[in-house]
Amino acid sequence: MLPSAFEDYLEAILTITGDGKRPVALQEIADALDTERTVVEDTLTSLIEEGYLEQAPGGAVRLTERGFTLASRVARKHRVLQCFLTEMLGVDADRASKEACALEHGISDETIDRLSTYMGGNQPAPGRMGRCRGRDACTLLDCKEGDTVRVAMIRGPRRNRRLLDLGIFPGEVVQIRRKLPNNSVVVRAKGCDIGISPEVAASIIVESCP
Amino acid sequence: MRFALVGNPSVGKSLIFNQLTGLGVEVSNYPGTTVELQRGNTCFQREMIELVDLPGVYSLDGESEEEALVREFLGQREIDAVIVVTNVTRLERNLYLLLQVAEYGLPMVVVLNMVDEAVKQGLEIDTNPLRDLLGVDVILAAAAQGKNIDQIIPAALAATRPATVEIPYDHHIEAAVRSLGKIFGADRVESIQALQGIGDNPELLEAARAIADEIESRHRMTAAQIIAANRHNFAHQIADLMLKEDVMLPRSDLDGFLTRAFPGIPILLGVLVGMLLLVFALGTFLEEMIVELFDVFALEPFHMLGLPPLIDVVGASILLALQAGFGIAFPYVLLFYIFISILEDSGYMTRAAFLADNAMHRLGMHGGAVIPLTLAFGCNVPAIMSVRLLHSRRERIIGSFLATMVPCSARTVVIAGIVAAFVGIGAAFSVYAIVFVLILITGLFLSRVTPGERFGMIMEMVPLRRPDPRLVLKKAWSRLSEFLFIAMPLLLAGSVVLGLLEFFGIMTLFEQIVEPYTMALLGLPGYSATALIFGILRKEMAFETLAILAGTADLGSVLSSLQLYIFAIVTVLFVPCLATITVLLREVGARITLAITAYTVALGLFVGALLFHLLG
Repeated sequence: MLPSAFEDYLEAILTITGDGKRPVALQEIADALDTERTVVEDTLTSLIEEGYLEQAPGGAVRLTERGFTLASRVARKHRVLQCFLTEMLGVDADRASKEACALEHGISDETIDRLSTYMGGNQPAPGRMGRCRGRDACTLLDCKEGDTVRVAMIRGPRRNRRLLDLGIFPGEVVQIRRKLPNNSVVVRAKGCDIGISPEVAASIIVESCP
Repeated sequence: MRFALVGNPSVGKSLIFNQLTGLGVEVSNYPGTTVELQRGNTCFQREMIELVDLPGVYSLDGESEEEALVREFLGQREIDAVIVVTNVTRLERNLYLLLQVAEYGLPMVVVLNMVDEAVKQGLEIDTNPLRDLLGVDVILAAAAQGKNIDQIIPAALAATRPATVEIPYDHHIEAAVRSLGKIFGADRVESIQALQGIGDNPELLEAARAIADEIESRHRMTAAQIIAANRHNFAHQIADLMLKEDVMLPRSDLDGFLTRAFPGIPILLGVLVGMLLLVFALGTFLEEMIVELFDVFALEPFHMLGLPPLIDVVGASILLALQAGFGIAFPYVLLFYIFISILEDSGYMTRAAFLADNAMHRLGMHGGAVIPLTLAFGCNVPAIMSVRLLHSRRERIIGSFLATMVPCSARTVVIAGIVAAFVGIGAAFSVYAIVFVLILITGLFLSRVTPGERFGMIMEMVPLRRPDPRLVLKKAWSRLSEFLFIAMPLLLAGSVVLGLLEFFGIMTLFEQIVEPYTMALLGLPGYSATALIFGILRKEMAFETLAILAGTADLGSVLSSLQLYIFAIVTVLFVPCLATITVLLREVGARITLAITAYTVALGLFVGALLFHLLG
């Protein structure tokens, strides 16, 4: 079991690189964690000794296989926790991120699995490390009339089966045709207008498309 | 020979069905469900052909009754060919269903309907890609003009080769289909359905669920979502090959008005109120005429016959029941159904449901509930029947409670005949106000206490179009006959029983027993209780009975304004009529029916007593 600060480092490196393959310069890590270069240096040395990192040319470091596995696990815990805090408990995104950082080190893998299942496999795709959808994605309810968006995910897919059959499924681009003050929406999918109740619209996670 | 018509809702399927079969259509209940199937026969080259019009669906893999019915029907394979009707202006979405039907591998004909509208929108259609892909005949048609409809039956007769299609599913799904096929001998359609939790082989479903869970955890999408996405994408590719868009001609967008809060909601209220006023104005006129005709040509001559008293009572009861039935059925119920069918066929009903969604949410239902609640103003019987449009049992229970409380046209007769005539028009409106407030309170209360899951509305806004008058009439007529079928026998039986009770003096005895109670509770004479009981048979009969028992049509001279007012309120709230109780039993079961009946009786007596003690 590593000290939580070490886990934060590995997670930060993974977040910076996205896939953990690229070497990362010391300064980048220091910036990401908002700490002094000298402190970073010490910690990285320990992590290299423990075999989580390896030295790369130019004073940079790279995640080893072992380091990558651990970093991914911590990052996943962060995602699940942050989603739980924002989506289920309604904590605001910044605070949720900070609290997830604190909680992610103490929680067991099994509990995270259970939490994830409880939310219906509801955390964002890997790749958007350390951040919950809450920040850069939104539901249909957050869109304006006339917006064109891509459906990212549908919560509670089983009860909203009809959405699929009417052409509203993850990956599909839809247009918001009408949004009433009471949040009922009409979206155009596959050339047809579909009227949707607010609570169903709230379960459709979308990302804006360029 | 037996052919079935399949297609999305509102693609012109019924219109084609009607053009192919003409009259002589038989509506039948499919065994085990309450969904109705239309069957019709047509003759082609001396061969008898049976056509089945399956209900409009968006998919074969959904959970609604209609979808289950179509799925089962196709699965039995007892048809010689499927005729898939599609709306060519919404080709891609229609192809999604078409591909699912094609997977069944039945002989098939594709009708690309509404070519006329497609041309107006500047679409150019190439049928070859679809014909090549499925190996079936593809017909371009315009049912509104009857164009190419005559080619459908010959094409269906010629269709002997099964449709072939291989939808390219995700490789995990394909692998699952292969292993399910290997282990259980399930075919492609069965396996795909099992992965979505549909089927009746428990072992297959169990195995499929394990695989589906695995797929879901890998893809972060459910198997159903992946399958749907694959089908939609394939449909998209085909649609791309088939359609060439010239110029998108600007379309006038009526929805710009209809689905906005303003002026959409004022328009909605205008439509509903206008419809009610029109039905009542026309209905009162027609009802008086029918009642008068019955009096002059049936009842009076019958009494003149001088038959023995017992037979005279029974015969008169039967005639009274017929008079009542027809007096309500034609003027109010039929008229009302005609308007409702116009609203449905024009596509306005879906806009109305969309606008009303939020209001209905407060009452614990979704926008679709606007249909039963509007229907209830005409007659509660069809309103309760349409409650099955709502998804969940929770909504159906709330819907039946509220629909039962809506003042139907018969109760309006009571309000108009007693309160408006003898107390005043303002008082008549106050009765409505009291009832609406009670409905609101009941809805708010029920939405909190009724158990069950809440479902939101997901509804296609069907294209707006001019309704076909013949279809409207036909629809209204078939609904009317449904009403007569249920209500008439009850009216007859009930009327005879009450007539006999009256004849043997049991009614008088009853009146004497209840008089002290009705006087104390409601301040009403004993004979008003008899009138209330007649009201169970048929609401406006309460009014007529009261007049007969009071011995004068000028009720104002025997009862005080307050008594009349209280009588009207109690009648309006008190117990749904016998016909309504029968449909309630059929739609929501005995327990809920009992609860609704008990609630309305209690509410009627309570409100009546309250008014009596407050105002008296």
